[in-house]
Amino acid sequence: MAFSIAACGGGAATQPTAVAPQPTTAAAAEPTAATAAEPTTAAAEPTAAATTGEGRVLRLWHYESPQGAMGAAWAEAIKQFEASHPGVKVEFEQKGFEQIRQTANMVLNSDQAPDVMEYNKGNATAGLLASQGLLTDMTDEATKRGWDKILSPSLQTTSLYDDKGVMGSGKWYGVTNYGEYVMVYYNKAMFEKYGVTVPTTFDEFEAAMDTFVKAGVTPLAVGGAEYPAQQIFYTLALSKANRDFVNAYELYQGDVDFKGPEFTYGAERLVDWVQKGYISKDATGMKAEDMGVAFENGTYPMMISGSWWYGRFMTEIKGFEWGTFLFPGNKLHPGSGGNLWVIPENSKNKDLAYDFIEITLKQDIQTILGNAGGVPINADVSKITDPKVKELIQNFDTVVKSDGLAFYPDWPVPGYYDTLVAGVQELLSGAKAPAEVLDEIAIPYKDNKDAMGS
Amino acid sequence: MRSRSRTRITRTRWVRNACVGGGPCSPAPFELAALAPLPCCRRYIYSTQGTVQYVRPQAAAHTFFVHHRALLVERGCSVARKASTLNKGYWPFLVPGLILFIFIIILPLLMNIGISFTNWNGIRNPKFIGFENYIRLFQDKAFWASFRNNLAMIVAMTIVPTIVGLFLATFLFDYIARVFKRGKGITSFFRAGFYLPQILPVAIAGVVWGWILQPGTGVLNWLLDGLAKATNTTSLAHNWLGDASTALGTVMVIMIWFQIGYPLVIFMAGLQRVDPELLEAASIDGATWLQRFYYITIRIIQPEIFVVVLTTVIAALKVFGPIFVLTRGGPGNATLVPSYFAYQNFFGGTNRVGYGASIATIMTIIIVILTIVFIKMQSKENI
Repeated sequence: MAFSIAACGGGAATQPTAVAPQPTTAAAAEPTAATAAEPTTAAAEPTAAATTGEGRVLRLWHYESPQGAMGAAWAEAIKQFEASHPGVKVEFEQKGFEQIRQTANMVLNSDQAPDVMEYNKGNATAGLLASQGLLTDMTDEATKRGWDKILSPSLQTTSLYDDKGVMGSGKWYGVTNYGEYVMVYYNKAMFEKYGVTVPTTFDEFEAAMDTFVKAGVTPLAVGGAEYPAQQIFYTLALSKANRDFVNAYELYQGDVDFKGPEFTYGAERLVDWVQKGYISKDATGMKAEDMGVAFENGTYPMMISGSWWYGRFMTEIKGFEWGTFLFPGNKLHPGSGGNLWVIPENSKNKDLAYDFIEITLKQDIQTILGNAGGVPINADVSKITDPKVKELIQNFDTVVKSDGLAFYPDWPVPGYYDTLVAGVQELLSGAKAPAEVLDEIAIPYKDNKDAMGS
Repeated sequence: MRSRSRTRITRTRWVRNACVGGGPCSPAPFELAALAPLPCCRRYIYSTQGTVQYVRPQAAAHTFFVHHRALLVERGCSVARKASTLNKGYWPFLVPGLILFIFIIILPLLMNIGISFTNWNGIRNPKFIGFENYIRLFQDKAFWASFRNNLAMIVAMTIVPTIVGLFLATFLFDYIARVFKRGKGITSFFRAGFYLPQILPVAIAGVVWGWILQPGTGVLNWLLDGLAKATNTTSLAHNWLGDASTALGTVMVIMIWFQIGYPLVIFMAGLQRVDPELLEAASIDGATWLQRFYYITIRIIQPEIFVVVLTTVIAALKVFGPIFVLTRGGPGNATLVPSYFAYQNFFGGTNRVGYGASIATIMTIIIVILTIVFIKMQSKENI
């Protein structure tokens, strides 16, 4: 599990996966940020219940860092909520990602549950709690309030869960208000120094990495002790995959052959990249945080990771110009709607919780989120001032428009994160052959699928 | 009603100038027989010329030690004694502790055992599945790998620190403290220094070690690279924690660093009990430092050694924090230990709480058995 604090832009980058937090940014869904839903006023229209708010309390938990994009946007949302709900007090508790990850099932099963909280998306997390009846079904409100219009179908995937807790269909158990995706971060100064241009095809990408290797520079910063390496493995597999493969793997809509062309290519190519020197053998000893810091220090020209680093890099990288591009040649990229707002079934203030969620989806809040380096899904793009953020949002729009969000590799199986970290470490270190690793990671997947009876 | 308790009586005393085999002796041999042995008494004499000697309780002038004095230890068997009136009414004082013990230890332990027989995702309705978790556990490669790594942890947390701690403690106590003018101060400084890792929060120490060992920018590799440059040799810089072949060894070295201070402090306290005259006598009799260490020191602080071995073995079996902070059981399963493996199942998103509980139950059984064995061994020892 990734242990960093989930905080885009704030603390360490976290993991975007069912197992680890991922703070990431919001993405503009199609309707892209630009065309997004009609602007609403900042204040939510208070519901009837909310107007008689005297003495009521909305208990809110989330685990985004106050400095991060989501933290900044949500702090403003709290202010607006209190302004539009006189007499209602928001009791906000800052939580840690790990704290929520490990205790949510117990807390939500008790009377200590908050009224609204941030929770991780995916089958093993929100899906599990939904299937156990711990989360409120928000379908009616989502339709009534038009959230289903604001969130594009691919962003809705992680908000909808069926009876078994499988994402992608069924009822609304969560609402995301930002997006996230994996991209290539690059150090413009180093590109310039070694005469490398931004690659647009996979071959150009490898050629660029060859140039760095020849100059004695390891091209990719990779955290092999945590989530980043498995996302590279998955990205490589996605280069040979289509939507059916993703649906089979992530949503159990069909059989997955771990020895098929997609994963075989992913595993073999990853090993190949280590052998060619694109990835250092030392990567197995680097955590995500080490990877991010190494990129910030200008040690590596490139880093393949998620948008949750974006806000942080905007504030912390001072010594060189940097930019991002989508993984060349891929139509499918790891990414999804961000973490979810969920309303525990035991909440006694569901009406207030709906109002709060609504405020976080409003354009002005979304614009704050975008300007802080998040990927908004409903921002007024004309008010996004930073060219970098514009690039971030545009790339996300590109992915969403081409139905390119492929989720994350560890989502399909509870506890798969650790299995994949271990397997990919064995690939990187050469301890095991690709075929052997693929056999190993196939076992828990198959067990889980059998257990689900699908 | 008067309660009666059983107590074992131990007494120690110095005996002087015992002579061998009743030969000519000067001054007069010491008469053990005159010592009025305790009921079913066992007698041992610490000498500098051999192992501890057992002396039959009724032995008369059994002698073995010349010139100086030796320590006679007698242990009686348990005898019933009338309970002291002071002991009356202490039960109420035990109640708070007992309540906490029941609620914090016993009850969760029983619940854990119960959960281990179920398939449970940690939320609702555990499903009883009998021994299925245990059957699966014994077929689980990761589980066996974790136990193999546990043996390595016992080496790193018990065996090496105990042996090194013994020598260090003796060296500081017996040599540094005596030879140097400011020996006591130097000894205290080193004792504190060695003990420091025990005081540091494991998370902080782990993170710092992580930085030191970081493959790309860590201090250790930087030093090794620098040394290699200075000496024109191949650098020994390595991906210490990220390479499966060195990760466990690296963690072991860190654990030794963590643990050394604990036995050292306990042993140094124990060494206070060693009568300097005894060591002096042995010196006069020509015993080398090593002989004094082996025949006197080790034997006198045997109870401390037992305590250290028992507590550190239990700590090694339960080790979690350093693994969690340094490697999370990786790379692959190279540094996986049972407690972290159980944690992964409880909290790692696998939702296999029952499986995690079965790992914890097995660990508990092993630890309890080991503890009983150690305590039995210790109580058999008559020292």
